Amino acid sequence: MAVREHLRTLKYATWLGWQIESNWTKPWLFVAYSIAKPISATLILVLMYLVIFSSSLTRPDIYAFMFSGNAFYMYVAQVLFGIVMVIHEDREHYQTLKQIYIAPISFYVYILGRAVPKIVITTIAILITLAFGVLVLGLEIDLAAVNWGLLALAMIVGLICICMIGIALAGVSFLTAKHGMGINEGIAGMFYLFCGVVFPITVLPQWGQAVGLGIPITYWLEIVRRAVLSGSGVENIGGLQSYSEAEIFLFLLVSCAIFFVISLAIFRYADRLARKKGKLDMTTSY
Amino acid sequence: MSDWLLNYRAMMGRAYPRILGPWREPSWVLFDIFLPLLGIAAFIFYYRSMGAPEVFTGFVVLGGAMTAFWINVLWSMAAQFYWEKETGNLQLYMLAPMSRMAVLAGMAVGGMFFTSVRAVSTFVLGFLIFDVQIQVTEPLALMAVFLLTLIAIYGMGMMFASLYLVWGRGAMNFSTLMQEPIYLVSGFYFPVKQLGFWVAAAGSIIPITLGLDALRQLMFAGSEVFAFLTWQFELLVMVGLAVLFLLLARYSLRYMEHLAKREGRLTLRWQ
Amino acid sequence: MVFAIEAESLTRTFGGKKGKEPLVALDNVELQVEEGELFGLLGPNGAGKTTLIKILSTLLLPNSGTVKVLGHDVVKDSQSIRRRINMVSGGESSGYGILTVKENLWMFTQFYGIPSEVAKRRIDEMLASFGLMDKKNSTLRTISTGQRQKMNVVRGFVTDPDLIFLDEPTLGLDVNASFIIRDYIRRWVKERQGKTVLLTTHYMLEADELCDRVAIIDRGRILACDTPANLKKGVSRNSTFSIVTTPFKDVGGAGQLPGVKGIEAKEQPDRLEINFVLEDESVIADIISYITARQGKVLSLAKSQPTLEDVFIQLVGRGLG
Repeated sequence: MAVREHLRTLKYATWLGWQIESNWTKPWLFVAYSIAKPISATLILVLMYLVIFSSSLTRPDIYAFMFSGNAFYMYVAQVLFGIVMVIHEDREHYQTLKQIYIAPISFYVYILGRAVPKIVITTIAILITLAFGVLVLGLEIDLAAVNWGLLALAMIVGLICICMIGIALAGVSFLTAKHGMGINEGIAGMFYLFCGVVFPITVLPQWGQAVGLGIPITYWLEIVRRAVLSGSGVENIGGLQSYSEAEIFLFLLVSCAIFFVISLAIFRYADRLARKKGKLDMTTSY
Repeated sequence: MSDWLLNYRAMMGRAYPRILGPWREPSWVLFDIFLPLLGIAAFIFYYRSMGAPEVFTGFVVLGGAMTAFWINVLWSMAAQFYWEKETGNLQLYMLAPMSRMAVLAGMAVGGMFFTSVRAVSTFVLGFLIFDVQIQVTEPLALMAVFLLTLIAIYGMGMMFASLYLVWGRGAMNFSTLMQEPIYLVSGFYFPVKQLGFWVAAAGSIIPITLGLDALRQLMFAGSEVFAFLTWQFELLVMVGLAVLFLLLARYSLRYMEHLAKREGRLTLRWQ
Repeated sequence: MVFAIEAESLTRTFGGKKGKEPLVALDNVELQVEEGELFGLLGPNGAGKTTLIKILSTLLLPNSGTVKVLGHDVVKDSQSIRRRINMVSGGESSGYGILTVKENLWMFTQFYGIPSEVAKRRIDEMLASFGLMDKKNSTLRTISTGQRQKMNVVRGFVTDPDLIFLDEPTLGLDVNASFIIRDYIRRWVKERQGKTVLLTTHYMLEADELCDRVAIIDRGRILACDTPANLKKGVSRNSTFSIVTTPFKDVGGAGQLPGVKGIEAKEQPDRLEINFVLEDESVIADIISYITARQGKVLSLAKSQPTLEDVFIQLVGRGLG
């Protein structure tokens, strides 16, 4: 019964999220949104690379490392952004947060439902970016060599983990002002810096590397890279070259489990604090 | 009472919550200063992983600090009328006698003040943490370029704000869309010259493009080799852009207000 | 006669593109409100009241017709109008939650160019009359709905407009807050020469109590416009009396008296409640004699008055809502 109710909540929250994401805008804008933004973000990194190296062939391993990391990192940025925005928009913009909060549904499931369209849209954007990389920007991906099973497993674990981190941030957004946007920007920035997204974590100072090794995103990106770009040399520069895929996957599972518990605790604490301080229906724009 | 006095008071009135607000909600210090530094750091390490010259560290810190202004223009200038409509303030602005430009100017002044605090803090911290070498030989020119950049981009924000009167939620996506593509064509994190002359020239319609290029030249020794145009020429173009955008904003605001009133969308919420 | 508001053949529609029927919000509205009047606009939801107020307050353009506010055309000369008007809507959430009540009010006065010292003095005076002085330095997001609405009303009046639009100003407020607001509105018009109020309300009693004249609007048309007393007079209705007496014999016989059109009696253990519908008020004397002659004692006697609600129902054909 409870599972059925959760599924229904998930379905309608997904539907609502999709309406908000897609329905109110023109199709061309929607397409541009899923293409122009990610491609531009990628091109910034490509141009930064090209200022230093004149061609993608100069250091194909660094190029592939940067390109793939940046593409898959979109899940982190977009899904976290999406989940934080759920709180921000429902509370301040549509002012429906309190109604949803008091409804007899699981708030976690509601948030996850709202995240689903974001995941779908981000997947499209990532595929477009990778295709653009291969077709226009000299990225090399051998589809026959992709380890699809490993990729699928890593995606499931990784997305669950990202959504859980999003839920923790959603909890923090209960307590913060309009700057809720800053949380997502900042946390996403932290992962971008410490998790070996566009450069190997070995460039970081020792303490920075230690931080990176404590975050599941680092292992998730490494596995995804090895699955997608197997044989391109990316496995030799990420700083985890001494570990096998199985070992890294184990690190991923363990770190995800720890983050899961921490995220849940943060959300519950923030939720309680928000109720205590009466912040569930505040509006803070100025 | 003269229109000037009315508009001056209206401007200061609207600037007030912008100037005061951040001090009442200090959570922004964490989110708006320290956390963006992480993104800046990532780009610096990216350059360093490729063995880039040290001057690029300065480019990234400058670009990262200036994103604060661009984000403020997009979300707190352009999109603000949309938020004001949603919260019910817009109709009160629209039935008051002051010029709408005065309200926008108030938002701009308040926004510039707050964002300058954020941008300068980011820059100073970035400067200290990453040991950025700055060499300013033309302080007046640097100040002029900085101020002109702000006037021109906030003028552009005012122009966008008028579009939001009519566009509604579609325009929110426009703001979202105007982030990464603009960071790209304006060369926030790399010399815009890298895009090639014509793309860089087209990107220069966004005033921050030339502003950043000129600021790079005026702040970092050895950056001339990466310059798109001379800073003197860029300064002149920016004067033109500042005037152009302010005039366009004025015209566009009038037209859009008329259109919104005709179509009944001025106070229509949740569109 | 100087008019604060003059509308001639005012029409406003919405939509109607792509072959759809347009929604007619206002249909050839004719309206004249004199300077110094407290004028009420009554109508069910969707009648066109808010559309009319938006046009009058320069927020919306009419499709056709001419509208003058304080002698200025709303289309051509909106700027002159804006200097002299203000508006308060019920349930509005204006202002910024992060500012205090005083700061929000000050900010809005600046949009009318009022010097700060004048604005601050007026704000203090008005907050005192609305019993809000203790909330002066509270941020907006910490005050109650009623306090917030009082602040909104202060916001509207603090700029000392010549014409103020009050769109359901007491919507959802408790009796006390509503009373304070109504009392202020009444005094404001009385004590200041030439100040005009256009009030829309769902509360018939509020309109009856406050307004010099009332217009009843439905489906974009003004159905009637007069003083509340005249409007009520126009309602054809027999005199209805309600009498409570001690029990007496042959109650039904009272229904046979000349001039009595109907009688409805409810028996309670120790008294009788009887409603009489009479052709004429003078019949009441015969009824009292009839009761006392049968050892009945009249405990209370009340005449039911026609209300604006009766007027409304007769004109619109349904109640508010």
